[in-house]
Amino acid sequence: MGTENLNRPNYPLRPAATPFAAQQGTTPFGSSGPVVGSEASAFRPAPPASSQFQRPPLSSGPFVGSEPTSFRPPPSIRPNDLVRPPPPSLSSSYGPPASGFPSSPAPPPPSIGQVPPPRTSLTGQPVAPPLTRPPPGQVPLTQPQPPSVPMGSPPQSLKMGQPNPNIPLRPDQQFPPARPNAQPSAPLPGPPYPTARGTYQPAFPGYPNAQPSSVAQAPPMQPASFPLQQGGFAPAAPPAPFLGRQRGPVSGILPSGLYPGNQVQQHGITPPIAPSQALAEDFSSLSLGSVPGSFETGLDVAALPRPLDGDVDPKPLAEMYPMNCSSRVLRLTTSGIPNSQSLASRWHLPVGAVVCPLAEFPFGEEVPVINFATTGIIRCRRCRTYVNPYITFTDSGRKWKCNICSLLNDVPGDYFAHVDASGRRADLDQRPELTKGSVEFIAPAEYMVRPPMPPLYFFLIDVSISAVRSGMLEIVAQTIKSCLDSLPGAPRTQIGFITYDSTIHFYNMKSSLMQPQMMVVSDLDDIFVPLPDDLLVNLSESRGVVDAFLDSLPSMFQDNMNVESAFGPALKAAFMVMSQLGGKLLIFQNSLPSLGVGRLRLRGDDIRAYGTDKEHTLRVPEDPFYKQMAADFTKYQIAVNVYAFSDKYTDIASLGTLAKYTGGQVYYYPSFQSSVHSDKLRHELSRDLTRETAWEAVMRIRCGKGVRFTSYHGNFMLRSTDLLALPAVDCDKAYAAQLSLEETLLTTQTVYFQVALLYTSSSGERRIRVHTAAAPVVADLGEMYRLADTGAIISLFSRLAIEKTLSSKLEDSRNAVQLRIVKALREYRNLYAVQHRLSGRLIYPESLKFLPLYGLALCKSAALRGGYSDVQLDDRCAAGYTMMALPVKSLLKFLYPNLVRVDEFLVQGEEFDITRRIPLTAESLDTRGLYILDDGFRFVIWFGRSILPDIARNLLGEDFTGDFSKVKLSLRDNEMSRKLMTILDQFRATDPAYYQLCHLVRQGEQPREGFFLLTHLVEDQIGGANGYADWMLLLFRQVQQNA
Amino acid sequence: MGDVLAWLLFFFILIALLVMIVFQLMCLADLEFDYINPYDSASRINKVVLPEFITQGILCLLFLVTGHWVMSLLCVPYLYYNVNLYLRRQHFVDVTEIFNLLNWEKKQRLFKLGYIILLLFMCLFWLIYNALEDDEEHHF
Repeated sequence: MGTENLNRPNYPLRPAATPFAAQQGTTPFGSSGPVVGSEASAFRPAPPASSQFQRPPLSSGPFVGSEPTSFRPPPSIRPNDLVRPPPPSLSSSYGPPASGFPSSPAPPPPSIGQVPPPRTSLTGQPVAPPLTRPPPGQVPLTQPQPPSVPMGSPPQSLKMGQPNPNIPLRPDQQFPPARPNAQPSAPLPGPPYPTARGTYQPAFPGYPNAQPSSVAQAPPMQPASFPLQQGGFAPAAPPAPFLGRQRGPVSGILPSGLYPGNQVQQHGITPPIAPSQALAEDFSSLSLGSVPGSFETGLDVAALPRPLDGDVDPKPLAEMYPMNCSSRVLRLTTSGIPNSQSLASRWHLPVGAVVCPLAEFPFGEEVPVINFATTGIIRCRRCRTYVNPYITFTDSGRKWKCNICSLLNDVPGDYFAHVDASGRRADLDQRPELTKGSVEFIAPAEYMVRPPMPPLYFFLIDVSISAVRSGMLEIVAQTIKSCLDSLPGAPRTQIGFITYDSTIHFYNMKSSLMQPQMMVVSDLDDIFVPLPDDLLVNLSESRGVVDAFLDSLPSMFQDNMNVESAFGPALKAAFMVMSQLGGKLLIFQNSLPSLGVGRLRLRGDDIRAYGTDKEHTLRVPEDPFYKQMAADFTKYQIAVNVYAFSDKYTDIASLGTLAKYTGGQVYYYPSFQSSVHSDKLRHELSRDLTRETAWEAVMRIRCGKGVRFTSYHGNFMLRSTDLLALPAVDCDKAYAAQLSLEETLLTTQTVYFQVALLYTSSSGERRIRVHTAAAPVVADLGEMYRLADTGAIISLFSRLAIEKTLSSKLEDSRNAVQLRIVKALREYRNLYAVQHRLSGRLIYPESLKFLPLYGLALCKSAALRGGYSDVQLDDRCAAGYTMMALPVKSLLKFLYPNLVRVDEFLVQGEEFDITRRIPLTAESLDTRGLYILDDGFRFVIWFGRSILPDIARNLLGEDFTGDFSKVKLSLRDNEMSRKLMTILDQFRATDPAYYQLCHLVRQGEQPREGFFLLTHLVEDQIGGANGYADWMLLLFRQVQQNA
Repeated sequence: MGDVLAWLLFFFILIALLVMIVFQLMCLADLEFDYINPYDSASRINKVVLPEFITQGILCLLFLVTGHWVMSLLCVPYLYYNVNLYLRRQHFVDVTEIFNLLNWEKKQRLFKLGYIILLLFMCLFWLIYNALEDDEEHHF
């Protein structure tokens, strides 16, 4: 049920340690008294007190808010494990104890109390107080917080980080009821468990101790058992509390009554065998088994892990290698690089990296710029690696050894500095390239094939009737005009325009003119450019003409009745104009291209194609023209951003291809109406125009001997096997790559990665941004799991899955995601399940605790969800293109949006806490509440049915009873409205890449509620897709097969 | 004598096919080792794709017309594959995805190469066989 860190539990479990015994006792309590008794005795082998101490820390560690995610207790803690001798059988106890900690302040879970009290002794902590034993049946609940007292106490209490805790926080919510529901929903438990249990029990007999907890079944026994436990446990006390906490949240939620003690069980961890090393492993588990005879499935919905703290940066690597570049730039799916191909093949998740080469750095941590004017850029002669913090100087500073290929290079005379005995250069302080993971070199002329290009923006604007009517044209013209002053690269910036409907209009903007001259070309079959120059002009010279043009643009086409769109020919014309320089092409397309080359048909969303082999053809460009154009654009350093606005089918699949292979991006505004979407378009267009952009860039990732990047995923085109061509890059784009091992066995201890992006800055300098990172090579699968990074894995998964939808069915793609998660968990299970007797629980590494949830969310994302009727084809393709480029953090937020309740804050005026997120399930929603859902792309503001009319009136004025699809949220002159706007601004500030438009939704207002909100509640069952609990059970069942 | 000439013709057509396929493979190999860029590589390969398909079709047809139906039958799978590719519009190399498809494209062409070499040997056999037979007739 609850996720628990098995680790801790394990410890306790271990018979050796006295503390454990205590813990066990605790568990037992929770689960079932009876067993415990027996076990308790078994455990007795009280370990030294010391062990106990250790534990507490451990437990505390995990609990602690700081590192909720990382279960790994600090190393120091580990010792405990070591200390503990082979714990005979740990029973799962921990899990059960979960009840314990009242991570959440409010409900001190009774469970906690149970366990700890008896044990108090060892830690010396005040555990004792909570001794109260629960009634046999419900043991767990009884004791409230005693746990808090226990050792770990201070930190622990604070740290609520874990998911569970969160839950508890909001007792008021419906969770309690929820659980029951959830459980029913999960059918699985019934069948699977029985078997599982069967196994269990037998096992237990072996280990008397362990069983109790897991078994829990015999309630009557409990009383007796307790005593035993206590005796045994006494020392253990401290740990127990922890356990309690973990569970705590859950327990708080659950009415004790609901749970038969049994359910709780965690069978845990019986590590009789475990050598100290194994013990050190920590893992988390979720007990899914229900006790035979109980009604509920064993799954406690509230205890499922949820990323309510958002994405947490992977820490271990940064601590190991402080000179690595930031995780904003480079994230490895696992920081432990497998040392052999066989190990890599057992790791069923991708091995690779997600790179965001131009990630924004917070103020004060900007990337240092280095000019090697006198020496030339220092690179390895053989592998061309750039100088970085991991190179070593030898021969008293005259040579340096490349960290990637180990070649000894000469140090150029001008770069020479004395090296002291420890190998440290005397001038280290003045050499940021030798101390920082991210640096930027100014590149000399050798790095240019032509003079650095000026920033160039070219606009290709649809002026057909729909573009004018929707107001798109006007907003675009205004926005471009307002951005002219802030375009990067002044005074070199170049700009140009083409508009088109059934003909193509060129504009001569020569600086000597007062007004732009329009030239119309109507021969679509043989496009030519009417003027050799002056279609593309220097902005600062022709500013007056450009201003005049933008001012008159909307009125020029005001009465245009043309419905055709000669998109293909216009695209070719733009290409001809731009091909001299390259640059950025922004396309504003409002209808389906209907004339000339590249016209598309209304192939529409054919329901008959779904589920057949033809399904994927809907998602790939129909006409090879688009791929060919994209290739040509990239060749000439042109990046394409596509803005699509149509309310009808526009074949984003084809149009998006242009962005995909040119390093661009697709913005899609279905049914654009300037009255509704203008803010969004303004913000996103101006961000696109004004953000710092790197031009005519190429990127390469180098890595050490024995490993190689074999595939790349994202929006770019490969220029050679490992060189990404990126006509324009900015901070909102990330690229993923997968690694493979070339040698059967890696002999090095460390693998280095170096990302180098060679680009032209807007100021006209050629620069190289270099990011270097090191990662350890590991020989142990468990270590790989420990160092895994869920965010990077999910990012790679989503890219792979989306690519798969281009060649096979959606269903296949979703299954592939599921299969990989199952394989990974099964492999992990094989590592630990046997020795720990975890048959009734799903175990997973702490580092991957959110993987199943994100996997589920990925399958429910617009790009992969359902079939024909669930998502419009264009929406699906647009989401796919967008997700291919998103950095990790934005992707995770998109998959598991933030949901926060704001009405209390509006009414009472307490300080709003932006991090108080709640689980994404309909059960989190209170009909009296006002909620904001933020997925990074839009806000959905949900008004509960029985919300105070005051709130609605204050926020919406007198419209509050009207049709929400027509109501616009705007700042009103009252406190509540101002507060809400502040909150929204706060949210927007966290993610400036897109503008989040507010969609107001009233509870029960279909289909809007379904479309905007319910599809984002990824933990619920939507349209045939599993809910979270069902999904976990499904995974569990599959993991068990052939396990 | 006619038979010998026919086999000689088949032999040269096969050599032509062989050359075209080897050329494509060379382009792919050059691409892999970064000697040429994907644009050039793709356009060079795409230039010979259709000639290759047509030549192969003609060969198959000629076998049939000249009554060598066993050889013709041997050519059919190859022809069927090509036609299939063509109908699915996958016969050209896709510049944008060329690196992801590199292995597949190479494998496909290596198979074709093996296939052609097999046919070439059979063709040689029949050529020599017929020539010897002609020779024997002269003797009598």
